[in-house]
Amino acid sequence: MEGVAIIGAGQTTYGDFPNKGIKELFAEAYFEMVQSVDYGFEPQMLHSAYIGSLSTGSGFQLGQMAPLLMGHVGLPHVNAVRIENACASGGFAIYNAACAIASGKFDLVLAAGVEKMRDVSSNKGRYWLGVSGDTEYERLAGSTFAGIYALMAARYMHEYGLKREHLSMVAIKNHRHAVANPKAQFRKAITMEQALNGVPVAHPFNVWDCSPTSDGAAAVLLCRAGMAKNFTSKPVYLRGFGAASDYLAIHDRDSITSLAATSKASAEAYKQAGIGPRDIDFAEVHDCFTIAEILAYGDLGFCEQGRAQYLLEEGITQLGGKLPVNASGGLKAKGHPIGATGCGMACEIFKQLRDEAKEDTRQIKNARLALSHNVGGSGGTAAVFIYERGGQ
Amino acid sequence: MGAHISIPMYQRAVSQKYRMLAQKCLHCGKVNFPPKAVCKYCLTGSKFEHIQLSGRGKIYSHTIIAGGGAPPEFAAEASCKGSYPVVLVELEEGPKVIAQLVNPLDREISVGMPVTAVFRKIYEEEGVIRYGFKFMPAPVS
Repeated sequence: MEGVAIIGAGQTTYGDFPNKGIKELFAEAYFEMVQSVDYGFEPQMLHSAYIGSLSTGSGFQLGQMAPLLMGHVGLPHVNAVRIENACASGGFAIYNAACAIASGKFDLVLAAGVEKMRDVSSNKGRYWLGVSGDTEYERLAGSTFAGIYALMAARYMHEYGLKREHLSMVAIKNHRHAVANPKAQFRKAITMEQALNGVPVAHPFNVWDCSPTSDGAAAVLLCRAGMAKNFTSKPVYLRGFGAASDYLAIHDRDSITSLAATSKASAEAYKQAGIGPRDIDFAEVHDCFTIAEILAYGDLGFCEQGRAQYLLEEGITQLGGKLPVNASGGLKAKGHPIGATGCGMACEIFKQLRDEAKEDTRQIKNARLALSHNVGGSGGTAAVFIYERGGQ
Repeated sequence: MGAHISIPMYQRAVSQKYRMLAQKCLHCGKVNFPPKAVCKYCLTGSKFEHIQLSGRGKIYSHTIIAGGGAPPEFAAEASCKGSYPVVLVELEEGPKVIAQLVNPLDREISVGMPVTAVFRKIYEEEGVIRYGFKFMPAPVS
């Protein structure tokens, strides 16, 4: 199997961009990615492109979105395909790109993601956000994605004594991290009082427990590890990549205080990288709702199952702690343009591992190994990646 | 705009939605609901006998969907009630199911609370009222 390296990454700022559609968002991320490659790259060298998106511009382009976007940036003949696994579409774009390179078939592959969420009426938004779960049963119980994660939170509270305040600690931490990130949607710190008293969404969640709707795109350039030095002296190596699925409906799962897809995907990634969770220096995890970050700590092996609240209490996962999680602000505050999210995590890690998170308060110093974790919906799919600093 | 479940699609699930008809695996004996092509417990059996669920179970987890967060097809109900509870119930035959809770008691909804299924209006689409099961607190015996 060929090794895989990342040699370029770019993303739009996440947020509300009324004057940009998916083509403009994609182009912005793509050109930033091209700019980030140190030398030797010509776009015509690309062999293949995997582009993640759930709604393909709120449904305006139902089929063949990938060639539409590649044609927009002057690459009409590159083999291009759309990847869809709801909120994990971007992660699965990277996973497919990495597998394509590992197989020896391709040398240079683009993985990207895009989502245009702010164009739609709130009714339509709530419609298509709720139909990546089990529509026939979960949705017809009157539940939303927030409701499904709320059921997980209530059960976690029952089994492990998690308090409402622990959920808010995730929101406060990630909002604080986003303040210095120029790509983040919400660069505003919040207090515990605010975090506890937001507008109710699905008990125990209020609006501060939920990631926002966002417009955005991200693009990552992967190549065969052996040729990385043709493009940069500071590649980031993809040492492990794992992906897994689970029953789509939570009523079919044995446990709802753990996402089996995350556990299985991370076990695959750790094994391939030949490391364990203790070796990870920092991580970007899928905090679509505050409980999701708490579940991720256990499923990724950062703590024993059911003990995530102690990582929060001890400040281990905040910037400056032993294992910073979501230094970007996470989905919660950096934003969550569904299809782009998994690729945006890779952009953050690419910058951090090259010491290019220019804002001093943000740069994680002396990090060697990082992890990203991207979940589809309520855990029907998950992808986990392990990155290592190269060069120097 | 709501989650679109066509009339024919809904009709195909009437035995589950109206009568809570489940499948007992002839290989391992466990009960699957909603139905699967292969048993979700032994991952082997693909032959089943139909059994009717009792509708009795206990709350496994719970939430309250706030008015502003309801799916569009439940928006009218949410604005009328302000909010409504949704529960994940572990049935006595084994399967877990998700549904709304009606007639909640004055005290807080909690894990382990006994409930029983009731036949109710779920929502309306294409001019047709869709019926199905919800849960209510079990009467004290």
